[in-house]
Amino acid sequence: MKTIKYISILLCLMLAASCSLFQLDNYDAPSETLRGEVVDVATGEPVLTDQGSEGIRVRLIETSWEGNVTPLDFYCRPDGTFQNTKLFEADYNVRVDGPFLPIYLEDKDGIPVVNQTQDIHLEGEKFITFEVSPFLKVELDEMAMVSDGVITARVKVTRGVSKEDFKTLVSRSGNYDDSYLNLTDIQLFVSQSSSCGYRARDERWSNEIKYTGKEFDTSFGKTITITSNPKNPIPSGRKVFIRAAARINYDTPAGSGTKRWNYSETVEIDIP
Amino acid sequence: MKKSILYVLAGLLFLASCQDMYLPPKNTLTDEDLMSSEAGLSIYMARMYSQMPWEDFKYMAQWGLPRRSSWLGCLGVEGTGEAVNRDGVTTAFRGEDDPWWGSSYSLIRDANKLIEGLPAYKDNYSSEAVYNDYIGQAYFVRAYSYYQMARRYGGVPLVTEVIQYPAESDKLERYRASEEDTWNQILADFDKAAELMQPKSTLRGCANKYVALAFKAEAMLYAGSVAKYNSTVSGNLTGIGSKSGNRVIGFGDNAQELSAEWFAEAYKAAREVMTEGGYSLYKKSWAAGDKTAQYRNMVDMWSDLASPENILVREYEYPTLAHGLDAYSSPFLWHSPLAGGTCPTLDFVELFDGLEYHPDGTLKLTTGTSNDKGEYLLFDSPMDLFVNAEPRLRAYVIFPMDEFRKEVIEVRAGIFTGGSEDHVPLLFGGNYSYGAAQSKYADLQYYKGGDKKLFLGSQPTSGIETVEVDGKEMSATGSCGVWQEYYESTITGLHLRKYLSEDMTIEDIGEGKSDQPFILMRYADVLLAAAEAAVELSLAGESSPVQGEDMLVVATEAINAIRERAGADLLTVPLAADEASRNIVRRERRKELAFEHKTKWDLRRWRVQHEGAKELFWGVEKDENIFSSGSKYRFRALYPFYSTVNDKYFFDAHFVNVRPQEFEFNTIDYYFSIPSGEVSKSAYIDQQPNR
Repeated sequence: MKTIKYISILLCLMLAASCSLFQLDNYDAPSETLRGEVVDVATGEPVLTDQGSEGIRVRLIETSWEGNVTPLDFYCRPDGTFQNTKLFEADYNVRVDGPFLPIYLEDKDGIPVVNQTQDIHLEGEKFITFEVSPFLKVELDEMAMVSDGVITARVKVTRGVSKEDFKTLVSRSGNYDDSYLNLTDIQLFVSQSSSCGYRARDERWSNEIKYTGKEFDTSFGKTITITSNPKNPIPSGRKVFIRAAARINYDTPAGSGTKRWNYSETVEIDIP
Repeated sequence: MKKSILYVLAGLLFLASCQDMYLPPKNTLTDEDLMSSEAGLSIYMARMYSQMPWEDFKYMAQWGLPRRSSWLGCLGVEGTGEAVNRDGVTTAFRGEDDPWWGSSYSLIRDANKLIEGLPAYKDNYSSEAVYNDYIGQAYFVRAYSYYQMARRYGGVPLVTEVIQYPAESDKLERYRASEEDTWNQILADFDKAAELMQPKSTLRGCANKYVALAFKAEAMLYAGSVAKYNSTVSGNLTGIGSKSGNRVIGFGDNAQELSAEWFAEAYKAAREVMTEGGYSLYKKSWAAGDKTAQYRNMVDMWSDLASPENILVREYEYPTLAHGLDAYSSPFLWHSPLAGGTCPTLDFVELFDGLEYHPDGTLKLTTGTSNDKGEYLLFDSPMDLFVNAEPRLRAYVIFPMDEFRKEVIEVRAGIFTGGSEDHVPLLFGGNYSYGAAQSKYADLQYYKGGDKKLFLGSQPTSGIETVEVDGKEMSATGSCGVWQEYYESTITGLHLRKYLSEDMTIEDIGEGKSDQPFILMRYADVLLAAAEAAVELSLAGESSPVQGEDMLVVATEAINAIRERAGADLLTVPLAADEASRNIVRRERRKELAFEHKTKWDLRRWRVQHEGAKELFWGVEKDENIFSSGSKYRFRALYPFYSTVNDKYFFDAHFVNVRPQEFEFNTIDYYFSIPSGEVSKSAYIDQQPNR
């Protein structure tokens, strides 16, 4: 019995010895940090978003790597900032895609016609700023009314980019249509969490108004009222957070089909 | 001297041993063994066909083609609206766990090897026709394999010769071809296969001329559709690969010409099968005006191997090659080891004729103008709702309380004791909105309030409430469901009938015990392909690709033939060159080919699955807000309830809430992502440009 025990211990030790258990990886763990923010070029205010694949996407392409590079994607935080603390020291091309005039656009033959991406060398910590032109500016009145558990909020949407500027830029890709400028919907996201948005919304209470064609064109700059879902009153005594969002009929990056929302600030509401 | 003789002798030994070393090893089959005779070649064929990427009982969309497993056997659960399943396999068709990539190229290599190797043995074959047929098989296999890739990825690397390894290592890597070139290669291969093959299959289960033409029609319908409808997505769904510089997805300025060209090819191929193939719709037990006969006819046709409608069939035989559809998708009475794997949705039922509808196209179950208004309509038996239903629907779906395998399939979600003789109020009041999709019956005041009026069952063996009806205790739920916390039974109130064996007993049923055949291609599919291509060509203003033929007459007759057999309403107005006619054809296709792994592809090629395009998700126009919100969507169930005050049944049309399922589909999903391993290890293979 004892012999078997010794033999098995010995065998186990042999197993351990045979793998490169005691060798260090030939690469140090990634430890460089990239921080940044996406701001409105006109006002310097951050471009608000929602964290997730419908929000602002940050794409890193390691340019110092020879040949075949797989892009590394991550997403902005709701306040329009981003950070990744686990990157290798290298040269990167950084690009952001979101609800603003594209900073990178290709024509029909795949040749870049707009390119405001940033090439950086990352070592230690680096902070970069993208100055962009958001499609829309969404303002949510802090004073919302609540009656019988239904929130009535006031939202004002204005264009951040003029129709002409949008057309001039997007036409360069060879794929422009007037319908891209149409506002398609206004959302009222309701959530029990302060990180309120498309991902963190409560579907029972959130609501949307859809618009077809140019229907909304005359309502830009005017105050619109939107309620939470009237069929599902929010129980009294709850504290909820609301956020408004709107988007136009244009996907970023072009061809992805993802139409991203511009967001308002979050407003906290107590349901009486 | 002696020594030198020894040396010579030893030297001779070397020579002697050399010669024989060139002999091929006896335990390896060589090209000559396999290709020099028909017997050898039948082994080669068996190997190729065993690796064919068929989508049948052993294909689960979520898992992918290479896995070939009959575990969880269910049909139409890929977010197409045909059915739902309790498990994670119910998910929109956005990609596959095991991608059709590496295995595809092994199969293509086998096909290429036959095309290159067989000519050396041509004289060994009894006739040129037989020899040509085998070469044709190889072209068919290659065409089908590339077709399965193209509809997943768009353009793929095209290999049409055997690359010697390691001798030609420099040729191994190649770029993805453009999507246009890929479809043209598929077209050329199907054409070559149809030209070379004989009208009847030389080996059972293998292709023949008309199989090649029928699949060519299907493939060209796909190609024509994407060339046309890509322009309806995000401006134009296309992109150039950064490594190859080729247009790996989508098409350039010639998209509409390509579309017309490919639709014409689809039409010609389908017409050739129709006029020369000798196939016809299965009507062995069909009788005009007899709904029961028409329903029985469409139940029988799936297992009849002598059906004149079958063009290509994947046969099974217990115990050597079997699947498990009955073990997973039967009603709960045959729970072995699971049941209720394929639960048809209410939305699917709403495609069919012979039922009453609200103005918004939803099934009329209330007195109001939609199912969230008015009061419930009351029925003596759940079957009364379906009394005039199209026989095809009954052949595809088991209604609550209908008969199956000589048993009544008792489906009841609960018992309601409220309301009055003529008035039963809606259980959820007016709230059947998308946002409230997950609300459960057990959360209602009727159920949990002090004045209890709603009785439910949580599990088949426990937690079933009973109500005294006519002095007898009646269980809240039926013998086949619906249970609120048990999902190995129907979760929509409906069951699959199509393809299930009609006469198996519980003892016969089990994993890998079913052996009914899967019909990979049938004549109705060809009729629908001809009709769709005809309407698309007419819409594009093209003239008939077949001289002297009125395409729209052909299309109208094709649709009516299918409708007549199905017992559906015939077209009163002939099909015309308009979108309404196109939608009629699409709806017919969605109905007829349901649960055959076809609808999920149709939705993709019509480009009707992304946000803003789901108006046409059902073939016919239907308000997408009824079943979707943004890029997400859900399906509805048909839950029957018994009402005690008047001894009637009513139906609650609610989103599947026993086991809620939400689907999501985005524009980028129209092209699957290329397996990331292939992209990251190769300097040639492009990822999809829009990802």
